[in-house]
Amino acid sequence: MTIWPQPRLLPCGDRALSVELGDEVNRELNARVLALEYLLQQKHLPGVGETVPSYRALLVYYDPLVVSHEALCATLRELWARARPEVLPPARTVELPCCYGGELGFELEAAAQKIGLSPDEMARLHAEADYYVYFVGFTPGLPYMTGMPDRLTIPRLTNPRTKTPPGSVAIGGVQCCIYPIESPGGFWVLGRTPVRLYDPIAPDPILLRAGDHVRFRAIDRAEYESIAASVEAGRYTPRIAG
Amino acid sequence: MSILIIQDAGPLTTIQDLGRFGYLRVGIPTSGPMDHDAFLVANRLVGSPDTAAALECTLIGPRVEFTDERLVAITGADMAPTVNGGAAPTWQGLRVKAGDVLRLGPAKSGVRAYLAVGGGIETPLVLGSRSTYVRGRLGGLEGRALRRGDRLPVGSVPAARPRRVHPDRVPVYGGDVTVAVVLGPQDDRFTAAGIAAFLEGPYEMLPQSDRMGARLKGPFIEHTRGHDIVSDGIAMGAIQVIGEGQPIVLLADRQSAGGYTKIGTVCSFDIGRIAQVKPGGRLRFHRVTVAEAHAMLRDRRRALDGTIE
Repeated sequence: MTIWPQPRLLPCGDRALSVELGDEVNRELNARVLALEYLLQQKHLPGVGETVPSYRALLVYYDPLVVSHEALCATLRELWARARPEVLPPARTVELPCCYGGELGFELEAAAQKIGLSPDEMARLHAEADYYVYFVGFTPGLPYMTGMPDRLTIPRLTNPRTKTPPGSVAIGGVQCCIYPIESPGGFWVLGRTPVRLYDPIAPDPILLRAGDHVRFRAIDRAEYESIAASVEAGRYTPRIAG
Repeated sequence: MSILIIQDAGPLTTIQDLGRFGYLRVGIPTSGPMDHDAFLVANRLVGSPDTAAALECTLIGPRVEFTDERLVAITGADMAPTVNGGAAPTWQGLRVKAGDVLRLGPAKSGVRAYLAVGGGIETPLVLGSRSTYVRGRLGGLEGRALRRGDRLPVGSVPAARPRRVHPDRVPVYGGDVTVAVVLGPQDDRFTAAGIAAFLEGPYEMLPQSDRMGARLKGPFIEHTRGHDIVSDGIAMGAIQVIGEGQPIVLLADRQSAGGYTKIGTVCSFDIGRIAQVKPGGRLRFHRVTVAEAHAMLRDRRRALDGTIE
């Protein structure tokens, strides 16, 4: 696997730098990125601003008039040496109900046909897996996840959609994602969750975090509608363990 | 409470403060003013703290009615403002009274004008900021651009004397703009010819540009091996080069992460200058080192602090 023997500290203009730890999608590598972020936050170094973890790199914003580039690089190298998954707090597991197929999972049938499974079999395999959230972003609250059985690997759509409804659970390549807001998309939509991943008027607007595990629970349309109504009324709390 | 009445909104007038910090790691952009310096100067001219919220007007300005006496200031793009039909000065504090109507027209130069009012605009803080992020329906007024008939709460007026920017220090928009860039984080994914073409330019601003990014058209930038990378974080000002070898400079409402190569990053102090380039306007990239960029940042910060008399 491609994990660099030393971190690469790459400039991103005058106010940010990227700490690149490797060059692939891999849980061990990502856990080190999250551990580095965690250690940096614990350190409360003046001049260090926001951090943005991704698969294999940590973007660090800083104020060069408060902390010098050299001092920040030295700190990051030192923290990198200790950035092991063990330093992280225990991971959470978030359960998300998902209604597969039909008009909510409008590409389940075509996707199943593409990889030679029945729609039911495909939905079952998808719902059984344990998903890991590498990071959250692109649009507010969107989780980048893997965890599907290899059997579900599928090429992305040739012509991306311009609009994907919020809550859509979709797959492409070995990845699975959920669209929190209406956005373009190149993944196959297998189902929809009534749970909001992004709620702009909630005190804590984002449900999922980097490092979380996600389990889908297959539900029928009636249960979807009932949960959607509870969500709308502000009476629904997703099940979170850990 | 005092209010400001929007009689006509213009195509994209939004409430912005310095931005929403702490949520990039979950995909919520900072937002905030596209031209940071012009925004700060507007606030300072009316005696407001830098953190106060003001209006960002895009290409065509709004018509605004005041309901009490206060100090206002207009900076940024030249939208030939008038108060009750008479020409109003820009880049200086201006006293208005109840019933006065301020009108900002189409931008004669620049793209984004800022209207600050003494006391600041006091719509609710959302996640610690009043900045509007339209795509995420967050902040500002109901998370959207302003519309005719909106009534904006404004804070109580601090005692402030009108101040001005010395005419020699007022920025001039238009003409070819050159901005400083630091190469990286993926400059190693471009050929020497690709980097030379990028630094040679010029690039033309395309009309599809918005608060997410400035889409540019110009010399082809050649990759070594494709434009896809393992997705990573996108810094403010990052220059993504997509399949067609054309750059996009990612700005205040940018996506937090993405999977395209980034050849360089526009320095923070020059991002506002990109925000004022009209569609069809041209810009070039000038390469600087990180150390040079930090020295320039220090100089620009000092100049900004001395800009108001």
